[in-house]
Amino acid sequence: MVTFLQSLIDGVTIGSAYALLALGFTLIFGVLRRLNLAYGSSILVGAFAGAAVFAQWKAGGWAVAAATLAAAVAAGVYVERLCFWAMRKGAAIASMVSSFAVWMQLEEFLALLFPGRTLSFPPLVERSVFELGPFQFRTEYVAMLAIATLLVVALEWTMRATRFGLAVRAVTEHPEAARAMGVPVARIAFWAFVLASAIGGAAAYLMASAEEQVTLHSGMQLTFTGLIAMMIGGIGSLRGAVAGGLVLGVVETLVQAHFGATAREIAAFGLLFLLLVLRPGGLLAQDFAVREAAALRRV
Amino acid sequence: MLELKGLSKHFGGVRAVDGLDFAVKKGEIVGLIGPNGSGKSTTVNLICGVFPVTSGTIAFGAHDITKAPPHQCLSLGIARTFQNIRLFNELTVWQNLWVAQNSAKHRKERGFLGRWAGGRGQARRSVERYLEFSALAAKRDELAGNLSFGEQRRLELARALAAEPDLLLLDEPAAGMNSEEVGQLADRIRSLKGQGKTVVLVEHVMELVMGVTERIAVLNFGRKIAEGTPAEIQANQAVREAYLGTGAKI
Repeated sequence: MVTFLQSLIDGVTIGSAYALLALGFTLIFGVLRRLNLAYGSSILVGAFAGAAVFAQWKAGGWAVAAATLAAAVAAGVYVERLCFWAMRKGAAIASMVSSFAVWMQLEEFLALLFPGRTLSFPPLVERSVFELGPFQFRTEYVAMLAIATLLVVALEWTMRATRFGLAVRAVTEHPEAARAMGVPVARIAFWAFVLASAIGGAAAYLMASAEEQVTLHSGMQLTFTGLIAMMIGGIGSLRGAVAGGLVLGVVETLVQAHFGATAREIAAFGLLFLLLVLRPGGLLAQDFAVREAAALRRV
Repeated sequence: MLELKGLSKHFGGVRAVDGLDFAVKKGEIVGLIGPNGSGKSTTVNLICGVFPVTSGTIAFGAHDITKAPPHQCLSLGIARTFQNIRLFNELTVWQNLWVAQNSAKHRKERGFLGRWAGGRGQARRSVERYLEFSALAAKRDELAGNLSFGEQRRLELARALAAEPDLLLLDEPAAGMNSEEVGQLADRIRSLKGQGKTVVLVEHVMELVMGVTERIAVLNFGRKIAEGTPAEIQANQAVREAYLGTGAKI
């Protein structure tokens, strides 16, 4: 029982970082209705920039975090201009394919720039373990959970109470109606991209600082984790993204605790498969379906 | 105020709008009617910049808006409602009106930071005014998706007004309404004239068109077949034939 609860705690912690990744994917997908496959690699550029700043100057946590966020946003803007803004009149598939190409490009770029492929990353807080009752808490995980929670709450507030957030939601729901109401759709999409990249950069920073290293493989892992968490939660729903991230984190940790590290890799895909069979719309899809049906009844 | 000259829109071989000449003066309430598929909604979409024009010109005041995209038309002062309701269902009634305030005037009032975060009292007051106008004040915190059909129609109109347009294009605002609701809508449209708005009303519900407009243009197959006061249109033979068909055709 204690092992189970311990895994639950660890799962929620790592899941909070996954939730951030899924939120980034969801924001971009919601506003543009286009999948950004280069998302994982563009925030990996951020993590490598952070690691490079650390290696070069032995800089502290804040400088590394700032470098990570700045580079992730810069890479995100590069992807937006090249794959989404330039392709805005083309089919959605054009954006997806070109974002796939940019994914490869960015990873090759990093491989050339950092032949070692693995860089050490400074921890956010001094690594230590403290005990509370029967449970063990790792300080770096507690810090990660706190920061991720803060970011999710801040994003929730942005989406609910600011004009920018409302405009993002309006564009997500009815792009043509938003345009007719004077919402500058292209500009909103750009800033949503910047926001998503910053959130992704934060997630990459938290995950890298917990592991104290970044490798080139992390790009693929970031992309898959974010995509799977988004699909588990229900594509297009911000709350679903948070739920999907947490569920994925908990399931992965539980499976690892009971069946070992190899099973962990399978768990994510197994969970996605199960969900797509049982609830194709994702965890929070029912909300949608119910509302849709209610709307049909009214008409 | 609004002038269409030789306006045409062809979709492949289909001439949805075909050489339409039509002008609206400031402060007028004008009707645009015609059988299904006669090009009324296409005309609205052309004015708002949703579709590119095949040929002809659209002038709004001193501006040539033939090629203007939707947000530019809006900032010049043209707002519209949609034939099939397109509210932001996931936002509340209040938020729907709040997010629609994007006219050039609003931007100037709001300043740089206000564009992103909250806003000044002015903008909030004008949202209150439109809540009052459309009798939705009690429902301000309701999600738009949870409103009744009639309420959604009212919110569509209020949202278009929240953009503070000079010219309002209403695309079948009475579709699906009962006659009591049509009566209330007629009162609202008439009161817009008092506020100095110009209205183009695209409508199938004749009770509404004949009741509120001062002038009507009738389209058929993308061409204007008649124009005149409601009484003249009702007496017009070509209009009757367009709606009922001629004996010769059968």
